[in-house]
Amino acid sequence: MTPTPHLFPPPGPPSRRTVLRWGALGGTGVALGPLSACAGPTGAPGPGTLTLGLNRSLVSLDNKLNQFDAAVTVQRAVRQALTWIGPDLQPQLVLADRFEMTAPTAWSVRLREGVRYSDGSPVTVEDVDTALRMYGEVNGSFLLGLFPEMPTVEATGERTFLLRTERPVPVLDRLMANIHITPAKANRPEELQSGLGSGPYRVVSANGGAGEYTLARNTEYWGKQPPVDKVRVRFVPEESSRVIALRSGELDVVDTLTPDSAEQLAGLPGVAVQETPGVRICQLFYNFRKPKGHPLADARVRHALTYAIDGESLIRDVLIDSAEAAEGVVPLALQGAVRTGTYAYDPRRAKALLKSLDAEDLRITIMWESGEFAGDTSVMEAVIDMLKDVGVRASLRQFEPGGDILKWRQGRGGDWDVIGNGFPGTTGQALTSLQGMYGGTAEKERTRDTYMGYVIPRIERQLSDAATETDAAERDKKLAALQHAVWDTWPSLWAFAPKTLLARRDRVQGLALQPVNSYDLTAVRLEG
Amino acid sequence: MPTYLARRIGQSLLTVFLTLTTVFLLVRLAPGDPASAYAAPSATSADLARIREQFGLDEPLFVQYGYFVRDLFTGDLGTSYSFHSPALDVVLDRMPYTITLAVSAIAVTTLVAVPLGVWMARRADTRRELGANVLTIAGQSMPDFWTGVMLLTVFAVLVPVLPASGFTSWSGLVLPTVTVAVLQLALISRLVRREMSTALASSYVTVARSRGVSESALTWRYALANSSVPLVTALGTRFAALLNGVVVVEVVFGWPGVGSLVVRALETRDYPLIQATVLVTATLAILVQLLVDLAYPLLDPRVRLGKAA
Repeated sequence: MTPTPHLFPPPGPPSRRTVLRWGALGGTGVALGPLSACAGPTGAPGPGTLTLGLNRSLVSLDNKLNQFDAAVTVQRAVRQALTWIGPDLQPQLVLADRFEMTAPTAWSVRLREGVRYSDGSPVTVEDVDTALRMYGEVNGSFLLGLFPEMPTVEATGERTFLLRTERPVPVLDRLMANIHITPAKANRPEELQSGLGSGPYRVVSANGGAGEYTLARNTEYWGKQPPVDKVRVRFVPEESSRVIALRSGELDVVDTLTPDSAEQLAGLPGVAVQETPGVRICQLFYNFRKPKGHPLADARVRHALTYAIDGESLIRDVLIDSAEAAEGVVPLALQGAVRTGTYAYDPRRAKALLKSLDAEDLRITIMWESGEFAGDTSVMEAVIDMLKDVGVRASLRQFEPGGDILKWRQGRGGDWDVIGNGFPGTTGQALTSLQGMYGGTAEKERTRDTYMGYVIPRIERQLSDAATETDAAERDKKLAALQHAVWDTWPSLWAFAPKTLLARRDRVQGLALQPVNSYDLTAVRLEG
Repeated sequence: MPTYLARRIGQSLLTVFLTLTTVFLLVRLAPGDPASAYAAPSATSADLARIREQFGLDEPLFVQYGYFVRDLFTGDLGTSYSFHSPALDVVLDRMPYTITLAVSAIAVTTLVAVPLGVWMARRADTRRELGANVLTIAGQSMPDFWTGVMLLTVFAVLVPVLPASGFTSWSGLVLPTVTVAVLQLALISRLVRREMSTALASSYVTVARSRGVSESALTWRYALANSSVPLVTALGTRFAALLNGVVVVEVVFGWPGVGSLVVRALETRDYPLIQATVLVTATLAILVQLLVDLAYPLLDPRVRLGKAA
C-alpha cells in the first residue's frame, strides 16, 4: 500500500534551511522597513512650530547647574524669575511687580497678582524662599559664584517679602534674574527633571538624554500668550550639520555660530545672520604668580609685550571680524563697562621697551584649552610669530577640555606665562566680571582661588567699595575708576570680545538677540 | 550544547567585568578632573572638595573600586555627573537609536554587498569587476564625515527630500544608514568575492556543474552557502563594532546614539556614564559574537560547538 503523502509536513524542529530562510526574510524586512519610509516627511517644522538647534545638550530645563547662554532662552520660557535682564541689560520685572531697595541690605519685593504655574497653582513667597535655599545648596553651581551671598526671604504678607543680605548687594535685582521659581514642594537642591513653571510655555515632551524638548503654549499663562504655538528644541552638536539643517529649513534658529559658519550663511536666500557685541572677554592673560624679579612680574614688561601684538590683523584676518578688540578690562557691552584704552601695535616700541627693561631675551610659554574660543589655534600661532618679531621666543602648550583648566588656572599644573582664557559675562554686569577676575585677596590665593593669581590689594579694596555702593551713579563712577586702575596693571597680552552670532530662517521675526547670547522667546513670531 | 553555552556565558561575564575594571582604572589615570569639569569656572577649592566628596572621588582608588564592584552587582552604576540621572538609564535611553542605526546599516550592507560580491566573483578579472572594486574602495576611502556632509548637502539642501539631522521620522534613518553602509560595502563585498571565487573554483562545484546543476543554483545554493561562515563572522564583527556607536556619523547627523554620548562623557570626565556605556556596549558586542558562534552549526553542519576540531 502506497502511503498517503502528507499535505503538511509533520511538526518537528525546523530544519537548518528553514531557519536560514526565515532569517533572511527577517533581515530583509528589517532593512526594507526603514527604507520604505523614505517618502516620509523631511523633518521641516510645521507652520506654527519654531525649531531651535542648540550646540550643547540641554539636559534639563532647570538652570541650577546647566547654565549656558542658549539654554537660558529655553529654560526661561518655562520657568521664570522675579526679574530678567532686558535687551538694554537693565533689570525688568517678571514675577514681581515691585523690587525696590528699601535699605542697603534689604529689598522689598511684591509678587505680581495672579501669577501661577502651568498646573494652575499660584506662585507663592514660600516658593521664592525655597528656590533661594535650593540654589544655595547645589554644589558647583554657576550661579553661586555670582552672588556675594545668598539673600534670605522674610515674608511680610501674602504676596510681599523682604530680601535681606548681610552686606549691601546693590545689583540683587539683576542677580535674581537667574533664580528660577518652581513650586516649593517640587524643588530640590539638584537639577530638576520635571519642567513645571510659570512661563509662557509648558513642557509637552522631554528627552533630557538626547537634549530634545517640545514646548507648547501654557494656556494658564498669567501674561500675554506668545505668538508661536509650539517650540521644538533639538541638540545638533556638529556645526556644519546645524548649518545644513538651517539651510534645509529643518531648523529655524541656530545660535553660538562660529565666524566661518556665519560667513557661509550670510547672504543666502531665506537665512539671516544676526550679531551683537558679546559679553564674554577672551584674554591672553598673564600669570600673576610669577616671583618678584621675574620680568612678567613687572607691569612695564607686560605692557611692552602688548605692543608686539597686531590685534587689528588678528581680528580682521584670523577672526574674520567676528570679534571686537578689547578697549577695556571687560567687554564694553556689559552694563557699567568703560573704555580704558586700546592695545596698540608697535613692534619697534616693544623691542625698545623690552631692551630698556632688560627683558629682550624673554622666553614665554602660552597655553590654552582647545576650543576656548573660535579660531584659537590660529590666533595662538599668529601670536607666536608676532612675539618672535620682537625677539621673544614663545612656545605653545594646548590641552584638551576635561577639567584641567582649573588646575592650570590655579597654578597646580605647572608653570606657564600666558594663558588663553575666556571669562563669561552671564549677568550682563561689569561688576560681576570684575569681581570674578580682579577680586583676588591674599586669603583666596592661599587656596589658589584667585583668577590666575591676580592679587592687588588696592584693586580689591576699590572693587569691594564699588560693589557695596548703593547709589547707582556713585557706583558707576567707582567702577569706572576701578577699571582704569586694572587696565594700568596690564593683566593681558591682548584681549578681545567675540560677537554673539545667531542665524535664523527669514520666517522667524521679532528675535532680539541680546549680548548675553539669549533672547526672549515670547517676542518671537513666525511669518509665512 | 548547554555546557558550551554555560562556558561561553561565564567567559562573557568575565570579559565584561575585566573590561569594566580596565575602564574604571584607565579613566581615573587619564588627565582631567571630573569635579573641575562639573563645576562653574568660578568654583573655589572648597567647592571642588565638596563636589569630589559628593561623587565619592575623595576616597582612595581601591575604596572607589570596592564601591563600584558592590554597586555593579546591584545594577547601580551611579549617577551621571552631567545628566544628573542614573547613568545606566541615560545609556539605555540612547541605546535604541544606536541599535536601530546598526541594524539598518548592517542590513543594507548585507543586501547590497552580498549580491555585489557574488556579481564580482562571477565576473572576476573583468573590467566591470574592476569598476565595481574601484567604486567600493572609493566609498571606503572617503572619510565618513565628508560622506555624511556631502549626502546632507545633496539630499537635505539641494534636493530636500530627507531630513538633515536627528531621528524625528523614519526617513531620518536613511542618510546615516547610507553613510555607515558605504564604509562597510568594500570590506564585505570583497570578502564575498574572494570566498565565492574560491568556492566556485572548488571541485565539488565542478562535479555539480557536470551533473547539470544550474549556474544559479551553483552560485547561490552551493558556493554562497559555503562562503557564509566567514561572511557571517565579518558581518557579526562589524555589527558589534557599530553597536559601540558610530561617533562621527552620530555627530554629523545629530543622531542621539551612544557614540556621541560617550564623547560627551569623556569630555566631561563623567566616570559613571563612561562605565555604564562600556557595560552596555561590551555586553551587546559579546552577545552578538555569541550569537554568531551559535549560528555556525546552522550554516555549516560540520561545525560542532564545544567539541575540538
